[in-house]
Amino acid sequence: MSNVNSVSTDILIIGGGPSGLATSIHLADILKQKGLNKRILLIEKGSSIGSHILSGAVIKPEVFKELLPDVDFNEIPFNAKVAKDSTVMLSENGSFKLPFHVPYMSNAGNYTASLGQICRYLATKAEEKGVEIYAGFAVDEILYKDGKVTGAKTKDTGIDHHGKQMENFQQGSSIEAKLTIFAEGTRGSLAKQLIQKFDLEKDKNCQIYSLGVKEVWSVPEGNIQPGEVYHTMGYPLNLKEFGGGFVYGLNDNKVAVGLVVGLEYEDPTFDAHDAFQAWKTNPFISKFLKGGKLVEYGAKTLPEGGYYSIPKLYTDNALIVGDSAGLVAMPALKGVHLAITSGMLAAKTAALALATDDYSEKVLAAYELSIKDSLIYKDLYPVRNFRQGFSKGLIVGALHFGTQLITGGAGFCGRLKSHPDKDATKTLAEFKGKPFKERFKDKLEFDKVLTFDKVTDVYFSGVNHDEQQVAHVKINNPESFAAINIKQYGAPCQFFCSSEVYELHTDKNGHQELRIHAENCMHCKTCDIKTPGDGITWSVPNGGNGPEFQNM
Amino acid sequence: MALTIISLIKQVPLPTEMRMGDDGLMDRTKAKSIINIDCQFGLEAGLQLKKQYPDAKLIVCSMGPQSFEVALKTAISMGYDEAYLLSDRKLGGSDTYATGLAIATMLKHLGFSKDSKEPFIVLAGRQTSDGDTAHVPSQVAENLGIPQATFVETVKADGEGNVIAKRIIEGGYQMMKLPMPCTISLTPTGIPPRKPSLVGAIKARSTKVTVFGIDDIGLGTEKIGLGGSPTIVAGVVNIVSERAPIIMSEGHNENTLVNSLVSNFGKGANVLEKKEAAEKKTSEKPEFPLYDNRNGAKGIITWAEVTNGSISRPSIELLTPARHLADQLGNDTKIMTVLIGKNIHSLTQTLFEHGSDEVIVVDDARLEEYLVLPFSSIIAQIIKERKPEIALFAATTAGRELAPRIGVKTGSGVTADCTGLEIGEYVNRKDKVINKPILHSRRPTYGESKLATILGFVYPQISTARAGTFEVPAKVEGRSGIVSEFKPTIDKKEFSVEILKTVRGEGNSVNLFDADIIIAGGRGTTGDGLELIKKLAETLKEKGVKAEWACSRVVVDEGFSEYARQVGQTGKTVRPKVYVGVGISGAIQHIAGMKESEKIIAIDRNPKASIFHFADFGIVGEYQDILPELIERVKGGFTFGIEPSKN
Repeated sequence: MSNVNSVSTDILIIGGGPSGLATSIHLADILKQKGLNKRILLIEKGSSIGSHILSGAVIKPEVFKELLPDVDFNEIPFNAKVAKDSTVMLSENGSFKLPFHVPYMSNAGNYTASLGQICRYLATKAEEKGVEIYAGFAVDEILYKDGKVTGAKTKDTGIDHHGKQMENFQQGSSIEAKLTIFAEGTRGSLAKQLIQKFDLEKDKNCQIYSLGVKEVWSVPEGNIQPGEVYHTMGYPLNLKEFGGGFVYGLNDNKVAVGLVVGLEYEDPTFDAHDAFQAWKTNPFISKFLKGGKLVEYGAKTLPEGGYYSIPKLYTDNALIVGDSAGLVAMPALKGVHLAITSGMLAAKTAALALATDDYSEKVLAAYELSIKDSLIYKDLYPVRNFRQGFSKGLIVGALHFGTQLITGGAGFCGRLKSHPDKDATKTLAEFKGKPFKERFKDKLEFDKVLTFDKVTDVYFSGVNHDEQQVAHVKINNPESFAAINIKQYGAPCQFFCSSEVYELHTDKNGHQELRIHAENCMHCKTCDIKTPGDGITWSVPNGGNGPEFQNM
Repeated sequence: MALTIISLIKQVPLPTEMRMGDDGLMDRTKAKSIINIDCQFGLEAGLQLKKQYPDAKLIVCSMGPQSFEVALKTAISMGYDEAYLLSDRKLGGSDTYATGLAIATMLKHLGFSKDSKEPFIVLAGRQTSDGDTAHVPSQVAENLGIPQATFVETVKADGEGNVIAKRIIEGGYQMMKLPMPCTISLTPTGIPPRKPSLVGAIKARSTKVTVFGIDDIGLGTEKIGLGGSPTIVAGVVNIVSERAPIIMSEGHNENTLVNSLVSNFGKGANVLEKKEAAEKKTSEKPEFPLYDNRNGAKGIITWAEVTNGSISRPSIELLTPARHLADQLGNDTKIMTVLIGKNIHSLTQTLFEHGSDEVIVVDDARLEEYLVLPFSSIIAQIIKERKPEIALFAATTAGRELAPRIGVKTGSGVTADCTGLEIGEYVNRKDKVINKPILHSRRPTYGESKLATILGFVYPQISTARAGTFEVPAKVEGRSGIVSEFKPTIDKKEFSVEILKTVRGEGNSVNLFDADIIIAGGRGTTGDGLELIKKLAETLKEKGVKAEWACSRVVVDEGFSEYARQVGQTGKTVRPKVYVGVGISGAIQHIAGMKESEKIIAIDRNPKASIFHFADFGIVGEYQDILPELIERVKGGFTFGIEPSKN
């Protein structure tokens, strides 16, 4: 170490979710086999591994056997094996069980799980194998030398909200790495910079996202059995909105419920959290929750663009894995097994690079090739046009999907383009549909028994941010924001935000200003994706800040 | 000069958070531990001193189970160099007296004592969240025989081998100059602790914590653990939350939020269903003989603190429990009050009129301002001569450091910050006797969630009494008593600490004690220099309501208010009918000064501000929006349910 504030490593992994942990575990295994002694450093922004992890989740388990061949499968903390699996069509008060599975949506043999729990387990395995894991540190800067990635730097702390250094200023640590692996999860803030700098989205579709909001409940015995799984379509979404709900029965009388909504919706006043609350009032859903208590709340976006939206996954000295790479299979809504697979493939390539001490694109290209040879390709290619097909609504989407099923995914139109979610939002004047508040006008009085306002839900995420720091969400252009976002769109951020970060305050004289409560932020990144105009940039707050998910 | 900075830390359970909904507590962080908050400020103070002494070695010490290594490693990741843990089963049950001794013994073992050739500074937190005594720093200092400053906000070195400390006192602060070595305890209001750095965390992983057992440091078992502790915890009961769950205002703008408050206020606060105390354990009282182990000790000694030329209010309040105990003890038990200062004879009359039977006067020009070293030495000398059975101090910043320092000199345990003092008995099953009479000192602990009863077996039994808890005793005009002079022997060394400056506001110009409504502003309302706070209080006054404005300590520090208006542990303890806290986050020091108010309304922009846990009604919003609206309502006749006086 030349500098007191720097550390060097062979491999730096940014992010302690399933993809980053799988990379570290598999790489440690390969290096051990080869008798190589290399340093693997994994940095996680959450206060501990798992605290920022949120997923449904119903997980395909096979890949865990590959990742942990020496481990007794029963040791992995899955929740319940899927025992009953149905897709249900909802109207406001009615429900209708589909007599068949939507293609690709069967869950036979899968497990319900808390992905946070799984990650905590994987982290103990990784540490046993010699991986150094440091949680509670935010990495906010990619280090470059001669235009190439050379590592990353943790965030400076001890800075007040004006950006001024305080007396307890602590400079961030520089991490010099031979190879840096970006495993930040959905809409990774550094991966986003990397993709822009090296134009990794060139000739690809742009990424498109959904927002998932989720609650875990503790319910009376008998409300639902462990392993009972329901996916819902229809209410509260209309034919132009893509998405659906889920109900997963867990052990110990817990149940996970959630609603996933495609962010290419048009209504600038659409509020996924509130729609989720409305969804819970459907008798088919509310019966599972009756007599129960809310235990946890959380939200996260997920990349759904699929095959054509995967950026180039490597550049000199760097790889991208997991959700940061956009590896989620639709319509199955599954990414965990792909994240793990991508991590393992990245590990193989990283081992190759370490063995030859060559971290250039020449060697790293093997990673992307190996993905084309893997189950990732098998899962994603046949549905490569699935999600884009739904951008014009459910009916057109279903037609596209039908033809894709016949043609092995191509459809009759060839590759369908995607459009950034934020561009789909219409101005208040342009939007011709019924505004959200009118659509759900009887549903927005929350009773705090079955339904909750955002602030209350946010409380159940355990979220916490240091008071003294620069707000980690930034309006890119305050002038255009006032003129366009507030005046023309009515500040959609106040509605789409899953955690009441944005408040449009109107004073007595009718003057409007946006107030930012960054301390509520759930790190879902919707604002970075869905804000029209010049947008909002989400960056990492101080390490250890954010939600404190226990079993999400 | 190789300076060593030693930080003493304790690992404590994370104070549980209260849910703002209506189903009470939620302990979602159970089993999670943190470094005690005050100790974190001590750690940061050490890192700040390191800026002035780049070559200083930073070491961190703790006493407790092996699991405390986590906290010690966190200190390393913040920038400390070495870590030591005193961990031994035999230490279990140690009270603060035994803890102070054990830690001092470890420091001596590491080569730090008053005779050390190399300078060192011991830093500690003011108090811990699971003990709240604030004793250990004083006891460590006394055991090491070195000077101390407690309740310190910031420390700096003066470059000549001295430490300059800003010590918080009632109504102000003092700048003090201490020679090295010395002990300093930090309040959680100074420079907040820094975050660990990644490089530090990596270093911490490979740093070995040195663990000592008591044999390693040559500490005998007779002095520690349950057996070595002069006090025992005789019982702990849960304090059922004193306040019912808060009612939050609902609304989308200031207008509807205030509407909601007015309407909720009209309906009244939530009422706490008082659960009857659980049936008392009626374990058979054995037929042991009574045993009076006072061994001739008799009488109650109190210390009268002099500020701004008069006896401080908490010292007069203290005469209420003193009289109560004297009556319970009977047998012509006297109250002796120690009065130390310069030209103070005129103050004796006040003490007699409020209940002292004798005033022991130590009049010395050097003793005009309170200093812990000479004062503790003098009072210990008086105690040795007079042999009282009980010594009481007001739990002020002075009393809380003085009592434990005296306790080490007399071998007594000290019970801190008591809210109840009674004479009782103790069934001593080991010696098969019933000790009677014995002082039962009751004190809230664990963040005010439990009430512990502490008994002491070494005489005098020493306790400090929480300010604002006991009434000022009724004045008996013309009551008189004995005045006696005491001539102590004071070593010149007792004056090694120098007070550079004392800033203390006049305490009498504003009468917060008589106000029916207090509107208090915190850091969050300084944007307009508290104009809106003052205006709301003014508007209420215009309506004929006895209203006053007040503030939290930060506001005074930043120069927006005189000290007389400060509410909190180092300010005033008030009990108005309605207390409106605006922009006050609810630091425990502030809460201590207002939680006895009949109704509490909290207004703050941060829904997670802890003041909401202590309030009956709450509004989440910006004060600039809410207060003008509230002022309009007051103009329209809303006076928070207080009848305007018609004059």
